[in-house]
Amino acid sequence: MTHPLARLAFAGVLAVLGFLLPRLLGGSSLVYDTLVAIAIFSAMSYGLDVILSDLGEISLVHTAFFATGAYAAAILTVTYGFSAWTALAGAVLAALALALVLGVITLRTREFAFSLVTYAAAVVCMNVASNWDFLGGSDGIVGIPPLDLSIGGIELTAGRSAEFWPFAYLLLLLTLYVVHRFRRSRLGQAALMVHMNPRLATMCGLDGNRIRLQVFLLSAVISAAAGWLYAFQRAYVGTDLFDTYFLVLMLTGVILAGRRILLGPLLGTALLLSQKSFASLGAYGDKLVLGVVLVGVLCLCPKGLASLWPRRRAAAVTDAPANTNPANTNKARFPSPVWERGQG
Amino acid sequence: MNVAQQLVNGIVIGHAYALVAVGWTLLLGAARLVNFGHGQMYMIGAFVAWWVMAATGLPYWLAVVAAVLLGAALGAVMQRLFLRLTLSQDLVNLMIVTLGFGQALEGAAGLAFGPKPQTLASPFQEMSVHLGPVWFTVQDAILVGATILVFALLYLALHRSWLGAAVRMVAEDPRLTALGGFKVSRIYMGIFAFEGAAVAFAAALVAPRTPILTSMGFDQVVMTFVVVVLGGIGSVLGSYVAGLGIGLFTALFGALVSPAYTTAAVFALLIAAMVLRPGQLAASGSFAR
Repeated sequence: MTHPLARLAFAGVLAVLGFLLPRLLGGSSLVYDTLVAIAIFSAMSYGLDVILSDLGEISLVHTAFFATGAYAAAILTVTYGFSAWTALAGAVLAALALALVLGVITLRTREFAFSLVTYAAAVVCMNVASNWDFLGGSDGIVGIPPLDLSIGGIELTAGRSAEFWPFAYLLLLLTLYVVHRFRRSRLGQAALMVHMNPRLATMCGLDGNRIRLQVFLLSAVISAAAGWLYAFQRAYVGTDLFDTYFLVLMLTGVILAGRRILLGPLLGTALLLSQKSFASLGAYGDKLVLGVVLVGVLCLCPKGLASLWPRRRAAAVTDAPANTNPANTNKARFPSPVWERGQG
Repeated sequence: MNVAQQLVNGIVIGHAYALVAVGWTLLLGAARLVNFGHGQMYMIGAFVAWWVMAATGLPYWLAVVAAVLLGAALGAVMQRLFLRLTLSQDLVNLMIVTLGFGQALEGAAGLAFGPKPQTLASPFQEMSVHLGPVWFTVQDAILVGATILVFALLYLALHRSWLGAAVRMVAEDPRLTALGGFKVSRIYMGIFAFEGAAVAFAAALVAPRTPILTSMGFDQVVMTFVVVVLGGIGSVLGSYVAGLGIGLFTALFGALVSPAYTTAAVFALLIAAMVLRPGQLAASGSFAR
């Protein structure tokens, strides 16, 4: 699997198998519904994954980016009658604008403060969405038309879940590709350096704030694109998009498998949503399960389930710089002296 | 608009915010833990009090005691779960884990108490006091009195007692506290139990004002988040002042400008404060001021 061509072929086979997965699982409408939801929500989670794994911050505002994409799609198609393509452009632009404002605001905050400010921002967004009539107020916006992405003579429409699957799957593949390319790009490497060793990054001539802002913008676009598709799938947007449930789903999806594993958020989201679809315990039971899974993972194996798999860990150490963070390993091995506490 | 009445409303709401926030303030100051499950703990406290009254017919004040005891137990459970993360000061993971804890509580409460809205019936909610142009209920007066009492006791305990000194020491440096021969995990146990008991007490006093729902956790305490952070990390007096200030702000903003955008306005204030003065968050010196 080391040869690039072999790797490409493996990825290709995996992609084709993934596409055929609903049929392999019987092709019932429940299977299609579940897989479409998995594709959309894991695409949404990748937005957060980029921030969490590569920038090392926890953003609690990504539900707002997801909602921005969905609201932009709803307003542009329902209120103004634009096409789905225009709506996509609008969703991306709206998310970029919101992310730019938030990014500039949060630029100087780190870790703890960053999470608190992003949480506060999410509350403001939710409050505005539920009161501003332009955004549908507390009723939301209903009657979003079926997805229609036809170009020229090629008809590309989707009404039911089975027809929706190719689009959701394509969005997922595209997201995976973007995240994969990002991690190998100059920006991705720079982001990691800013995260792991800010002083070294500064000495290499990197502008930490600028890189953080760029990554923030990228992650907002990823989540917003997922929100855009979700609006068409559900034909309705409302303030429930800001629900903590989505936030917890995203965070659990990213953390469940482990950070900086390309397929991690997909697997995590798939596990959570499969439970919800095929082994549901009712709305309250599912909430309980989601909460218990998140608490369990973080309290028992904070590095994710993949860290329980010894072979995988050995591979991850050579592959991913995330696990060789000198600060973390040092902390784990030698307790830092008392006088250094508080500086870290 | 009756300005005097709005001021009275603001004072009552402000004390409610402060009382709901007090446990969280101590938790944040001593363990650096932003407890996003706080709202769900509030909800559990209210529902336990309601259930005790509905199922056993015990009087209101006994229901308050029961809620406080169960709240303390819930806090102890949290300490058992989060001890490792707390000791390693993994602040961000701690924050996420409390989000999950809140979800789990909400799911469990939904299974146990059902989806219907309920009313926690306090006998004092029906009695009202009229003083010239203003009026308030006896429940409001009890709430204000209890809040002042709790804050005064906590302040004295932190500054005048051996136990308070231990808590302040843990807040300053857990390792050094352990070197000093203290059992850090026991002190944390006390802090977490106080958080649980305090929020349940607040819920039992505040919840009779409105119907209760198992899904109310987030909305009911979203202002508390502002109180805790704006008051200065872990500052007891600070959170009292912040609670009162935000109570007055929401009452006046709601009456004068727009009731719908009150939350957004308060949170915008918070964001501005945090971005303009980020150092305030990192400082540990403000604890127990």
